[in-house]
Amino acid sequence: LLLEMKLGALFSNNGILLSRPVVTSTRAWYRCPLAYEIHTFPKCYASSKTASLHWMSERAVSVLLLGVLLTVYLYPGPTMDYSLAATLTLHSHWGLGHLLNWANTGLYGLPTATFADFCYFKYHDVGICKTVALLWSL
Amino acid sequence: MATTAKEAMAQFWDKNSRSNRPVSPHVTIYRWSLPMMMSISHRGTGVGMSLGVSFFGVAALVLPGPFPDYLELVKALSLGPALIYTAKFALAFPFTYHTWNGVRHLMWDLGKGFKIPQVYQSGVLVLLLTFLSSVGLAAM
Repeated sequence: LLLEMKLGALFSNNGILLSRPVVTSTRAWYRCPLAYEIHTFPKCYASSKTASLHWMSERAVSVLLLGVLLTVYLYPGPTMDYSLAATLTLHSHWGLGHLLNWANTGLYGLPTATFADFCYFKYHDVGICKTVALLWSL
Repeated sequence: MATTAKEAMAQFWDKNSRSNRPVSPHVTIYRWSLPMMMSISHRGTGVGMSLGVSFFGVAALVLPGPFPDYLELVKALSLGPALIYTAKFALAFPFTYHTWNGVRHLMWDLGKGFKIPQVYQSGVLVLLLTFLSSVGLAAM
């Protein structure tokens, strides 16, 4: 019955036929002594957690950016402008970094300049949010 | 450790570029699929917007006069609503596309939607949402 249910699940999933059968029953292990020889890959194989942390930070910033975009539309103001400037430049910096070599530190010039420009813009001139608002009012 | 890896990479590229070996056809022969096109578009819109925003930032720093003056200049051209709407749509489209596809990427990062039909379905959904939001944003 268990096997029939599992086969039913395989077929009914969007009508796709899985080309190989899946051994899902745990009762089969005692029949396959060779299976005991399988070692699972150790979780902490990497020598450092830097790359993993970076990846997580990238996702966190992406989610944060989504939130900032929403709030900057609903509550425009200086704090939001600076938050947008910071989150956006960081997201772009990491995004472009995927394309360029990580070892090449020429990557820092453009976003730093951009962030500085945004801050200058906000301080001396209208600011990003207002800019988009004005541009859109055309 | 980073230097030895870099050195190894440099050696690899030196040797292979010097030998002038032909490259196997890849993008010229592989059948283009929707996920493939959407993936490269996600990257393309990201790069495009980053460069655009940076360019705007640098321009704001370099060009004289506050921003509203430039807007007045554009207003003086009296471009007509259809052209303005098109321009707004052209600006909104990469933004909305990248945002919605970004959400799709985050869903994948959560481990959801990897089955092939789901990939195509979410792709079509993203395109639909992009079009609708661009239309909506441009109308504002």
